[in-house]
Amino acid sequence: MGEYAISVVKVRDTLLVTVPAEPDDSTVSALQERVLGAMERHDPKRVVLDISAVETLDSFFARTVSETARMVTLMGGRTIIVGMRPAVAITATQIGVTLSGIETALTVERALEQTDPLTAR
Amino acid sequence: MNAARGEVPITVEGDIVAVRRLLREVAQEVGFGTTDVTRVVTAASELARNAYKYGGGGVMRWQVIEANGRRGIELKFIDQGPGIVDVSRALEQGYTTGKGLGLGLPAAKRLMDEIDIQSIVGSGTTVTSRKWCSM
Repeated sequence: MGEYAISVVKVRDTLLVTVPAEPDDSTVSALQERVLGAMERHDPKRVVLDISAVETLDSFFARTVSETARMVTLMGGRTIIVGMRPAVAITATQIGVTLSGIETALTVERALEQTDPLTAR
Repeated sequence: MNAARGEVPITVEGDIVAVRRLLREVAQEVGFGTTDVTRVVTAASELARNAYKYGGGGVMRWQVIEANGRRGIELKFIDQGPGIVDVSRALEQGYTTGKGLGLGLPAAKRLMDEIDIQSIVGSGTTVTSRKWCSM
């Protein structure tokens, strides 16, 4: 179980979610529930989804990420996807995964620096 | 990688991850670059999930292939599920008869160089796909 585990940590007003390299389908499904549960408990401003370890982003994983981001938006938060590897980005684009409307950043640090478009002057 | 071919059962959900891990290793060994390794592994992930979810489980047979001085990999996903009524429609993005999004087969088709689907309604589906190393 350990190597598949998704870590969800709250740091100040950010929920930092780290996905392991090769999560199985039930881990991916659990991601949605855990993120939404943590949204309710901690009321963070943003969810930073760190996928820098992820080596395979297939259609199932992409759909779950994109649904989760939409739900986070409905709950009043924003989602920033961080660290997509070049090979993963190329492959995802090729199979039509767009993750449209989701913010992205290259590193967690950059994601934390990004100002909220709603509160920015 | 001693053997140039092998077989992986797809009977539980975790086997999809097992397929990905094994093929990552095999594809690197064959000589694919990082992006092509990711393409092969992603395609296999889609096909393994199809075999598991819609085919009631099955098996993946892989082998290293060679032609015209190029190396490649061949993947055969075999299930004894209900079969696909309209194979050409199943290759269209977004077409599904089940609960899925209908993305699996079209994704695999885009990521691999060749794909062939043999399906007999009531007795099962075999998806054979190949990818060749670029020179």
